[in-house]
Amino acid sequence: MLHYYDPATQTYEPGKNGLNPDFDSFSRDLGTPPSLSEEPVSISVDGREITVPEGTSVLRAAALAGINIPKLCASDNLEAFGSCRLCAVEIEGRRGYPASCTTPVAEGMAVTTQTGKLAKLRRNIMELYISDHPLDCLTCPANGNCELQDVAGVVGLREVRYGFEGENHLDAETDSSNPYFSFDPSKCIVCSRCVRACDEVQGTFALTIEGRGFDSKVVASQNDPFMDSECVSCGACVQACPTSTLMEKSVIEEGQPEHSVVTTCAYCGVGCSFKAEMKGDQVVRMVPYKGGEANHGHSCVKGRFAFGYATHEDRIREPMIRDSINDPWQVVSWDEALAFAAKKLKATQAKYGRESIGGITSSRCTNEETYLVQKLVRAAFGNNNTDTCARVCHSPTGYGLKTTLGESAGTQTFDSVMKADTIMVIGANPTDAHPVFGSLMRKRLRQGAKLIVIDPRRIDLISTPNAEEGLHLPLRPGTNVAIVNALAHVIVTEGLEDQEFINSRCDTEAYNTWRSFIAEERNSPEAMEAVTGVAADKVREAARLYAQAGNGAIYYGLGVTEHSQGSTMVMGIANLALATGNIGKEGGGVNPLRGQNNVQGSCDMGSFPHELPGYQHVNDQAVRERFEAVWGVPIDKEPGLRIPNMFDAAIAGTFKALYVQGEDIAQSDPNTQHVEAALRALDCLVVQDIFLNETAKFAHVLLPGSTFLEKNGTFTNAERRINRVRKVMEPIAGMEDWQVTMALSNALGYPMHYNHPSEIMDEIASLTPTFTGVNYDKLEQLGSIQWPCNEEHPEGMPTMHTVDFPIGKGRFAVTEYLATEERASRRFPLLLTTGRILSQYNVGAQTRRTSNSDWHEEDVLELHPSDAELRGVKDGDWLGISSRVGHTVLRAKLSTRMLPGVVYTTFHHPSSGANVVTTDNSDWATNCPEYKVTAVQVEKVSQPSDWQRNFVDFDQRQQALLQPAMESEEGSHANALK
Amino acid sequence: MSDQQLNNLIKMLDQIIANNLHHGDDDKVSDVAADHLQKFWARSMKQQIIAHANQSPRELSVLAKLTVDKLEPTVK
Repeated sequence: MLHYYDPATQTYEPGKNGLNPDFDSFSRDLGTPPSLSEEPVSISVDGREITVPEGTSVLRAAALAGINIPKLCASDNLEAFGSCRLCAVEIEGRRGYPASCTTPVAEGMAVTTQTGKLAKLRRNIMELYISDHPLDCLTCPANGNCELQDVAGVVGLREVRYGFEGENHLDAETDSSNPYFSFDPSKCIVCSRCVRACDEVQGTFALTIEGRGFDSKVVASQNDPFMDSECVSCGACVQACPTSTLMEKSVIEEGQPEHSVVTTCAYCGVGCSFKAEMKGDQVVRMVPYKGGEANHGHSCVKGRFAFGYATHEDRIREPMIRDSINDPWQVVSWDEALAFAAKKLKATQAKYGRESIGGITSSRCTNEETYLVQKLVRAAFGNNNTDTCARVCHSPTGYGLKTTLGESAGTQTFDSVMKADTIMVIGANPTDAHPVFGSLMRKRLRQGAKLIVIDPRRIDLISTPNAEEGLHLPLRPGTNVAIVNALAHVIVTEGLEDQEFINSRCDTEAYNTWRSFIAEERNSPEAMEAVTGVAADKVREAARLYAQAGNGAIYYGLGVTEHSQGSTMVMGIANLALATGNIGKEGGGVNPLRGQNNVQGSCDMGSFPHELPGYQHVNDQAVRERFEAVWGVPIDKEPGLRIPNMFDAAIAGTFKALYVQGEDIAQSDPNTQHVEAALRALDCLVVQDIFLNETAKFAHVLLPGSTFLEKNGTFTNAERRINRVRKVMEPIAGMEDWQVTMALSNALGYPMHYNHPSEIMDEIASLTPTFTGVNYDKLEQLGSIQWPCNEEHPEGMPTMHTVDFPIGKGRFAVTEYLATEERASRRFPLLLTTGRILSQYNVGAQTRRTSNSDWHEEDVLELHPSDAELRGVKDGDWLGISSRVGHTVLRAKLSTRMLPGVVYTTFHHPSSGANVVTTDNSDWATNCPEYKVTAVQVEKVSQPSDWQRNFVDFDQRQQALLQPAMESEEGSHANALK
Repeated sequence: MSDQQLNNLIKMLDQIIANNLHHGDDDKVSDVAADHLQKFWARSMKQQIIAHANQSPRELSVLAKLTVDKLEPTVK
């Protein structure tokens, strides 16, 4: 798929020629990265004049002039290397044939790219390459998309005078250990693009060139199989390979794709753009899209490879209903299922009142779908009982940032980190949870930025290869606010504040109140040392490093929000940024790393019970009136129930029906027994999902959901970037999720009629001040938009708060530290904290149904060797984990990443029961659960817990109740195919 | 309303108050806490805590009772 740039095909015509990734400017490889210089330099290439930034390579300048110099070792996402010599040129006044990739432009330079001598030189080089390369082009998986083949054609190679009998590498064995790609060294030309991609793009340094001369070869780690090496399977090496040496197994099996569609990844909050490369309606591979502003052509093991769940045999393909969760599922038509659901919902309201039902929107679904679910709840249900899974992750971000900065969102672009001088990471693990951004961070760290990590665990980022070791503050779980106050205390008492910023941009009264509070000795690092467990001098060092950095950027994750003082901590972080003037400029900012793909969007779209879309409070009459005018119904002015409140009300018998779109609350929410009791208490649970997830096992109506590959819409990533999701295949059950919600609403008697998600976005834009300028035509034109996008900011706003805040002045907030009630005790002496790992995603419903499970087939309990020794525990032992609410059993994994006294697990597998032990303690302002602090005891055991045994029984029973329906589905599909 | 539901509401209220004590005297703190309940609690939760405050005022702290008293007129 070698394409050449033709400006004639690049013009965007709204509504006519949507993005065609095969022919856009990003499909070209310009050979070397762009220069960031603003100094123009003019040269001529084959007589064509071109002006480029100083520092640009001749190779890139030529490409920009429309002249493609042959190359093999160069790629525009890698620094020039100059090893293949194919890009040699002649330069007037200079001797020899310099490599154009390593030669920077100079004013007045006259370059010739094609002469008889150059042609001969290139043919000679290609001859050498091909003399040690299998000539199986017609059966090679790269056939049709092979740079080596293309270049052989371009240089006019017609013979290989050396023959093929000499010493060669043609018998080198293929490494097929990785489930997603193979490594066939017999086809390797040792251009080292894979090695450099692993170093420069991914930052893992897992690959090297071993040996010299003829013996040179690419190896993973210490010449290990890829699967046993440090390789993180991001795919950057596969992407970089100009031959079929590193090749997706899906391409080997299925052949080269014939068309592609640009869409947005449905995993984490980075929101990477991908080309879904297709054959017909089948995805052959997902290739990171160079034009994606969030990822610039990079990817991780989830987005790049773990898409097979979309066609997994477990997919729910037809609607199903049942009267009781002890009944078998019955396959019915869409109309029957929707009528059944509507009848039950209406009957529930008739019996128990208008407020007895509610809905949960999905942070995995699109903005348009989320908008429709909350509209359904507010308009068709007639109450505000809508919430989203952001409740259990980033609701404190919404509260904390709105209180201090006036907007519930991160302030920067991801690219902003490249201008940061000090990066502070709090309660986040970007290389695992936001891997593509983690790689960008590592790139900046390799360039010399300083790193501060505040986390009970020693995350991988701290020891970034080829970068200075980060400063780690390993605090005790639950003491975030104590440490952020101590940092602020140092900034204030050591005169490190940015007084000019504070005077001009911040509310004086709030600042003075905060300053008096934070300057008190009780907030000093020395006073807080006993609380946090972090040495005072380290805290002082960190505060100075951040405040005196120039540009100080803070990135935080769920280790900040999922605490009883999550909202307070978010405000504490904003205080730090305000005090040091690190707001409103590139390289600074406050940046929540959102866990799921559309957490930001689901919050923006009015999923919370107290806010209509755009964070407009339901209590504001003027706001309600605008919505009422468009929606045609009155809107309740009182906030509705949050998810934990819904559970409490369900158990109390006043909340009786729930519509859940694309969330698995039974697995993801804390205190599983409590959640299960609530779900069992419902008269009607409607679940719309792609699989029979844990929540669906308690459901009465199962509506088939659609994956991101099966629908149109938009996701909004952690940098407020609205990105298009484009349908590449038809929805497996015939309806996209927004169509299902629409149909349910119509069945309930509240009419909804949209022909395309673009019409939903138009309605969103008409009602949401920060979205007034957003529409699908503009998204096609610009690629993506960072809201706010309105009259003031017609193309969006990459960096927020540059001039003022939505609340006028920045507001410092007093952040008094209060210890959580969840404390280690004699009975429960350890503190459990939970999180995620690289290969799995959230509840694992998607990634567990892919080969990603090869890296993580079960959740384990990480504990420090000293805690293990005390209990006589060895690696791999079964451990019982008990908290005051529950008990579960996991295998032990000894790890020094944890502090003594702290244990860690993930929640990717339902049978692990990680949330059986987490409590319903929550953030004071938002009820976000305190997942990060649970007092536990662990001991060696020999059998699963009671809960786990019950889980297995219940799961088997529910699978048996589903089985006849799935077989009936298979039958109807088989008939359809006849 | 179940005991568990009521206990959770009381715990939440106490947490809100504890995290806003820095606003000053009881009057100011209860103003802030009542405003928080007004903005973020569902109607049924407000009604439940008001009913409890009226039925068993001694089971709430002084500040919690003061907060609920200020909340009551805003709830219909």
